[in-house]
Amino acid sequence: MRKALFLGLSLMLIAGFAFAAGQQEKSATAGQPVTLQVWNVFDPALPGDGKEHEQKYAEYSKLHPGITIQHNIMQYDQLKQKFIVAGQAQEGPDEIHMLGEWVPDFVSMGFLADITSPMKAWGDYGKFPESTWKVASVNGQIYGVPSIASTRVLVYRDDLFSKAGISVPKTWTDLRNAAKKLTSAPAQYGFAFCSSSKAVRGPQEFAVLLWSTGAELVKLENGKWVPGFSVAQAKEVFQLYYDMMFTDQSMPPDSIGWEWDQLDPAFQAGQVAMVQNGSWMRGRADQADTGKSWKTAAFPYDKVPATYLEVKVEGVSKFSKHQQEAVDFMKWLYSRDNMVFVTQFDNLPSRSDSKDSPFWKNDPVWRGTFLDTVSAGHSMPSIPFGPALKLTMDGVQQVLYKKASPDQAAQDFFTGVKNYLDTSVNK
Amino acid sequence: MEGGVKKGTVSGYAYFLPLFLFIAAVYLYPFLSAISLSLHDVNYLRPGNRPFVGLANFGRLLFKEPLLGSTVRNSLVFTLGSVVFEYIIGLASALLLNSTFIRMKNLSKALVLLPWAVPIAINSLIWRFLLSGGYGFIDQLLNAVGFHALVNENWLGDLALVMPTVLFVNVWRSFPFYTITLTAGLATIPRELYEAAEVDGAGWTRRFRTITLPGIRHVSAVIVVFHLIWTFTNFDVIYLLTGGGPLHATEVIPTFLYQQAFVNFDMGYAAAMGVLLFLVLSITVGPLYSWLNK
Repeated sequence: MRKALFLGLSLMLIAGFAFAAGQQEKSATAGQPVTLQVWNVFDPALPGDGKEHEQKYAEYSKLHPGITIQHNIMQYDQLKQKFIVAGQAQEGPDEIHMLGEWVPDFVSMGFLADITSPMKAWGDYGKFPESTWKVASVNGQIYGVPSIASTRVLVYRDDLFSKAGISVPKTWTDLRNAAKKLTSAPAQYGFAFCSSSKAVRGPQEFAVLLWSTGAELVKLENGKWVPGFSVAQAKEVFQLYYDMMFTDQSMPPDSIGWEWDQLDPAFQAGQVAMVQNGSWMRGRADQADTGKSWKTAAFPYDKVPATYLEVKVEGVSKFSKHQQEAVDFMKWLYSRDNMVFVTQFDNLPSRSDSKDSPFWKNDPVWRGTFLDTVSAGHSMPSIPFGPALKLTMDGVQQVLYKKASPDQAAQDFFTGVKNYLDTSVNK
Repeated sequence: MEGGVKKGTVSGYAYFLPLFLFIAAVYLYPFLSAISLSLHDVNYLRPGNRPFVGLANFGRLLFKEPLLGSTVRNSLVFTLGSVVFEYIIGLASALLLNSTFIRMKNLSKALVLLPWAVPIAINSLIWRFLLSGGYGFIDQLLNAVGFHALVNENWLGDLALVMPTVLFVNVWRSFPFYTITLTAGLATIPRELYEAAEVDGAGWTRRFRTITLPGIRHVSAVIVVFHLIWTFTNFDVIYLLTGGGPLHATEVIPTFLYQQAFVNFDMGYAAAMGVLLFLVLSITVGPLYSWLNK
C-alpha cells in the first residue's frame, strides 16, 4: 500500500511539472500580470547609472500596474554569453542591453526580434540620429533602440599638461611628443592602450587608429566583404604601439595586456596622463582627487580625424513572450527626459533632443567634446565581426612582446581578417 | 514468489523514474547533444546550416590546430602545479592545525577556510586588482617591505611570470579545501598508534611516513583525483585573471574552448574539444584513482 502511494506521488510530481510548464505558457498568452526580464550591466551597487535605472523601473511598474520589471545585472562578456546560451534554448529576455557590434552577430543567430514597424511608427523615431539607427539595424531592419551614443576622445590631465608646458596634441606626432614629455618613469607615463586578450576595449581603440589612417575595417567589393585597409595602413597602427612602448618608452612597461578595468584606474591613480576613453570617465572624475583637472579633446589623428561612435542598443529577444510590452516599456524609458535621467553619470544619451536638455548644457567638459566629435565617428561593421576583432589584439600583443615586427603583424592581421571574411561571412 | 519479485522490481524501477528523468535531462541529454554537435559543422552565425562532418572537427583539432600543443601543455602545468602545491600546503597546514601548537582550533580552521569560501569570480577579480602594477596592493606592499626591485613587475602581463602568478592565485584559493579534508582524515588516525610508535623510539619523520601518510591515503586519493578533474576543467580563475593571455601563455583547454564557442561561435569545433576532454579524463581518472588508492 505504502509502495503504491509512493509510486502514485512520484507520477503526480512528474505530471505536476508538466502541468506547471503548460500553465506558465498559458498565463503568458492570456495577458495576465507580466514580468519583463531586463538584462543589462547597470548595477545599482556600483557608481554609474544603475540606481537611476532601477528608480525608473519602479516608476514604470507604478504607472502600469500588472507589469513588473525584473532587473538582471551582469558584466558585458557574461551578458553576451548568457544571451547566446538562452537563444540556443529558444529563450531570452524581454530587453537586452547590447554593444552595437553584437547586433549583427545576434541577428545572424536569429535571436533578436525585428522591431522595425513599432520603431518607425514611434513619434520619437526622428529624435535619434540616423547614425545610431544604423548601428541598431541589419539589412535595413531595426533590431533595437539606440540607448547610449558616445564617441571616444582623448581624456587628459590638464594640470600635468600645464606643468609640462605643452598643449593638447592634435596628431599622432603631437601625441608621441606629448607622451614623452609627460613621462617620468616609473611613477608617471604619458599614455597607455588596452591590449588584453579579452579584447573588450582594445579592438575599439585599435579601430580608431586604423580609421585615422583613412582606412575602413571592411568594405563590400563586388558583393563580397574584403578588408577595408591595406597592409601599409595596418602597419602604421602597429608601429605606433611599438614606438610608444619601446622607442619613446612613454607607456608603462607593465601595461601590456591591460583591459579597461586596469587602464581606467591607472589614469585615475595618475599612473598615466592621457588615455583614449569614453564618457563614463565622468563618473571616475567625480571620485578622483584630481578629477577637476580632467579634460577632454578630440583624439589625435594620423591622416583623418576619426573616433569610435559607440552605440549601445536595447533589443528584444525573438523568444520573448512579451515583445509588445517590452517595446512599449523601451519607448517610455528612452523618451527624452527619462533618457537624460538614466544616462546622467557614466553614459551619454543617444537622442539629439536629450543632449539639448539643460542637464547636458551645463556640462561643458563631458558634453562638448563628445558631441563635437560625432561627425568623425565610425561604427563597427554591420556584419558579424567579433572573431576578427580578436585578431587586432593578437597582433598588438605580438608587437608588444616583440614576437613579430609591426610589418609582420600587419600582414598577419590582413590575412586573418581576409580568411575570416571568406570562411565565415562570405560563405 | 517469482511473480512477487517481478512486481517489486517494476515498482522499484518506478521509484527511480523521477531521479532518472532528472539525470537524463541534466546530464545525459547535454552529453549526447555535445557528441552530436561535435560531429556537425555548427556555427551559430550560420543558423540552420548544420552539415554532418563525421570526425572532421576532431581531425582539425588534433592535426591542424596550431595552438593545441601549447594549450595542452599549459593545462598540464596548471593542473599538476596546482594540485601538487595545494596538497603540500594543505597537508602542512592540516598537520599544524592538528598539532598542539595551535590554540583556538575552530577559529583557526575558519580563518584558513576563508579563501576557499569566497566565490571564485570575486577572488579572481580581487587578485587582478591587487596585482595591478604600480597602484596595486601587492606593489604597495613590496615597496613598503623594501622589495623595490619587484615593484612594477607585470605579474599578469609578463610571459614568464604570468603562469606562476595564476598558479599562485589558484593554489591560494584551493588549498583550504585540502586543509579541512586532511584535518578530518588526520583525526581518524588512532592516537594509540603514535603513542606506541613513540614508545618504540620512532622519530617524527618515521611516524609521519609510517602512520600519518598511510592513515590519510584514502582521503588523499579522493581529493587529489577530484582536484585533478576540477583544475583541468577550471575556467573561471584563468579567464578572469588573464583571459588565457597574454599571447596564449595561460591558454588552457577550457578557455580555448570558450574562445571557440563564444567568440568564434564555432560550436561544432568547441564541442569536439569538450568530447575529447571528457574522453581523456574518463580514460585517465579511473586508473589514477585506483593507483592512488592502492
